[in-house]
Amino acid sequence: MPITIPKTALGAALTAAALALTSCSGTAGSADPTDIDPEGKIEAREISWLLSRPADGGVITAMEQIAEEYAKDHPGFSLNLITTPDRPSYIQKYETLAAANKLPELFDTDATPFAQKLADQGRMLDVDLLLKDLGLADDYREAALNYQRFDDGELYMVPFEFQLEFFWYNSALLERANVEIPKTLGDFPQLCKDLRAAGVTPIALDGQDQWPLERYLAYYPFRMAGPEYVQDLKNGEAKFADPAGRAAAEWLYELGRAGCFQEDFSSTGYADAQGLFTSGKAAIYNIGTWELANLATDALDPAVRESVDYFTLPTVDGAVTDDNAYVTPSGIGMAVNAQTYDPLVRDFLAYALERYPEVYAATGALSPTTNVETSIPDNATELYAKAVKQADEVGADSAMPWDTQLDPATNTRLQQELTLLVQGDIEPDEFIETMDAALAENSDG
Amino acid sequence: MTTPVLTRPPETTVPNPPKHHAPARPPRLRAQRALLTITIALIVIVQVYPLLWLFLTSFRTAADFTSGSPFALPSDYTLDNYSRAFATGNLWLNILNSFIVTAGASLLIVVAGMMAAYALQVLGFRFSGAVRSLFLLGIVVPVQIALVPLFIDYSQIGLLDTHLSMIIPLAAFSLPMAVYLFSSFYEYIPRELYEAASLDGAGPYRIFAQITFPLSTNTIITVVLVNSIFIWNDFIFANTFVLSDGLKTIPLGLQNYIGAMGNTDWTATFAAVCVTVTPLLLVFLVLNKAMIQGLESGATKG
Amino acid sequence: MAELAQTGLGAGRVGQRRRRSPAPSMLPRRSGLSVAIFLVPPLLLYGVAVLLPIVQSLFLSLFSWDGITDMTFVGLDNYAKMFARDDVFWTAFGNALGYLAICLVLQLGGALAVAALLTALPRARELVKTLYLLPAIISTVAIAFLFQRIYSLDPVGPLNQLLAWVGLDGAQTAWLSNVDTVLAAVSVPEGWRFTGLYMLIVYAALIAVPRELEEAARLDGASWWQTFWRIRFPYIRPVWITTTVMATTFALRGFDIPYLLTNGGPGQSSELLTTYMYKTAFVHTDYGYASAISVFIVVECLVAVGLIYLLLRRRDDS
Repeated sequence: MPITIPKTALGAALTAAALALTSCSGTAGSADPTDIDPEGKIEAREISWLLSRPADGGVITAMEQIAEEYAKDHPGFSLNLITTPDRPSYIQKYETLAAANKLPELFDTDATPFAQKLADQGRMLDVDLLLKDLGLADDYREAALNYQRFDDGELYMVPFEFQLEFFWYNSALLERANVEIPKTLGDFPQLCKDLRAAGVTPIALDGQDQWPLERYLAYYPFRMAGPEYVQDLKNGEAKFADPAGRAAAEWLYELGRAGCFQEDFSSTGYADAQGLFTSGKAAIYNIGTWELANLATDALDPAVRESVDYFTLPTVDGAVTDDNAYVTPSGIGMAVNAQTYDPLVRDFLAYALERYPEVYAATGALSPTTNVETSIPDNATELYAKAVKQADEVGADSAMPWDTQLDPATNTRLQQELTLLVQGDIEPDEFIETMDAALAENSDG
Repeated sequence: MTTPVLTRPPETTVPNPPKHHAPARPPRLRAQRALLTITIALIVIVQVYPLLWLFLTSFRTAADFTSGSPFALPSDYTLDNYSRAFATGNLWLNILNSFIVTAGASLLIVVAGMMAAYALQVLGFRFSGAVRSLFLLGIVVPVQIALVPLFIDYSQIGLLDTHLSMIIPLAAFSLPMAVYLFSSFYEYIPRELYEAASLDGAGPYRIFAQITFPLSTNTIITVVLVNSIFIWNDFIFANTFVLSDGLKTIPLGLQNYIGAMGNTDWTATFAAVCVTVTPLLLVFLVLNKAMIQGLESGATKG
Repeated sequence: MAELAQTGLGAGRVGQRRRRSPAPSMLPRRSGLSVAIFLVPPLLLYGVAVLLPIVQSLFLSLFSWDGITDMTFVGLDNYAKMFARDDVFWTAFGNALGYLAICLVLQLGGALAVAALLTALPRARELVKTLYLLPAIISTVAIAFLFQRIYSLDPVGPLNQLLAWVGLDGAQTAWLSNVDTVLAAVSVPEGWRFTGLYMLIVYAALIAVPRELEEAARLDGASWWQTFWRIRFPYIRPVWITTTVMATTFALRGFDIPYLLTNGGPGQSSELLTTYMYKTAFVHTDYGYASAISVFIVVECLVAVGLIYLLLRRRDDS
């Protein structure tokens, strides 16, 4: 296939390409991530926040209100909220913007390896210092801040939520199958078989979005080996073949064989999975308190409203983590771009972060801080208050979602293999072997 | 190639109907006809049913959608989905953006395609064969190759997140086919026409403006219509290069209906799909004759 | 490529095109400048957005780069990884071939069958053509939404409902979850979408077959079937080659529907090279490896077109 580009043109193109590429990389800018109180005048302008939160959700509503208040005293200021609720699309967008060096003043990120690289390059502001300087650090729940920290304990993201992930269950369906809620994770397979025998889908699972199933993988290792296991995994100090990883793989395989999840879980989306539970077809549903408005208010179908309750992550024999430690994320965090940080951004953040907990808690959501009380909506069931109260009882340890921890290539592979494992298309041994190979291949890159 | 568009009588695209509608037709033939009609009707139903289902679903209530039989007619018709669709998304803006991108890219394709074909076919030059091959290479090059490099280039020159960032690659990747179609057509413009114009003292620019361009109308319609289908619905370039809500085209706007954590309001999404399909559908139905003819003539030529 | 242009993609009746003479200008007078003025702008557009990225991808494929830290030169390691160490790549390659096969059967087979039937239909041909082309105007995002519901098992979607009605309850499955059905399930929408387009092209070619040829064959006692394969099909072979090339390259660059419908899953059961390349670039931020894969996709397309051309042309010559 003769591509007839003259040699000289080819050479020129190559040089141009090389120049374009090299000039793009390694541009950290001259910003200092520890300079949290830059000198200068506050000049009102528009600042942007690239975020991944529901468009009509509590965080955005609260921040819009706060930005309006702030703009009254600072004419010319506005906060441009650019949201991409779909998380995979968001991550793609944010990572490509980072590559293009086009991140706005504020952007959402989890404490991922990618974010760690950005922090290492000095592109994100040190939030530990910022919160201390603003006198707000002590207001935050310890678990909420810990969730945002990198492995080395550094904090570069501000939490805006606090969520508890529960196993919601339908007590009427459990009674029908004559079973109790599980005491240990090991009880799940038998529980599922009994529920199946009673003609009930045991667990509703949104398999399409991958992360819900990945949570299940994290549970066994968290109880057996603590939150360090996943950190060791990504650092190459642990393997899937270790006892904790093996136990997790075998447990998930068992769950699949016991028919725990609906048959087409891998193509079931979020809404359909929740629909299975709220319509009384499925007995158990693992989701966080962000769904309180749907699961603990009269928005819930009256037929199941009285039967719905929840339990927290069961333990295992010989667990190293306390019962009150489970997945308690403070949501995706907000990072502050060090390159665009100026007196205005600081002043706005000082105002907004101070004001936020009150405004946010008024929407009925759990604030990441301890200084406000969540208002319970009028149409709430008793469960709502119970869940809100539960938030004050959680331990400081939190089970980290693995999708925010592993490098993206390994994570993608893990999510794919997990589905196959639960569907019974591969055996635990195969799963472990594949995943350890993927870890090894991707760890150096 | 036997029937160049320029001279082809329009009847060729119309099937030659059997004129001999003989009153006495053997029953076997009639049975065959009936069977044929039924087969085609079935095929068409299978082909079109998903779209019909989509349309009906956009009027269902959410409860009816999750519990009712998928083949049943909606038990309740509601326009609520449409109001939710308009409330959630920014449909008009999406449609406007798709329109800008489609119009911009089509214009670029037509102008660049005609110019290149004119240079290659009418003016001619020593390496025209090589250049022609270079263009034809583009027909088989998959668009994915351009994603990463263009993303990097755009970020360098600040083109990321603009209408142009979508228009350029969409036009460039459609260009080879357009060059090809225009060249095949120009090949059949009689040489005498040009010679006559030359005798009147017209240079290449005037000849292009006064002869070649006006004669190209049919091919232009074909090129624009066929490409519009692809460009209007482009997902991959828009998804890669567009970041802000204000620039989202229809496919991206539709994606917005997948909410946080993957929650989807299906009936409203289907309503949104119906709304966004409408503009192209209208154009399609109005111009469908011209387009089918264009496609067919393009087809028998190339 | 030039020859391909003349006979393959050109699809003109071979022989007629040979009049392209070595002195190609159709104008008696023209200057070099005028050629440049007409040629340079389109060539620039094409060069910047199509040719330059190919060169850049080749270049980038020799590096390891995550977009934010410095690039490191790794030589051919990305290719070594692709061919030797990455099982997902091979799975995706196999899937891409499967996807291609299903799309071709649906698009070309379907197009030929329907076009042939249509030529025998006494009336309403225009209506059928219009309806048949309709899916082509729907965006792939909408198609993905639509088929997600059509394949759904719980709540039961149209496909599974239909199976239940005709008494095939046993065949009901979660089409997009089952590793054995998912590849077909993501290919069908793509095939469905464009079959109308190819049908039109083939139909137009079929009705251009001179009636006398068929009449003559009929008089010789050939059946409809024989007439079709001996007379009509050989006559439309050049168009058939064009259509095959179009359908093949479109199927090989297929991306939207698998990406939106299953994102390659479950496992890698519906991962295509294109979706894998996209994920590698924009999810894993491994731009070097992604470029290597995209270089492979280009080569794959060129090889496929070359093969089609060889196979179909040779038979024509014999």
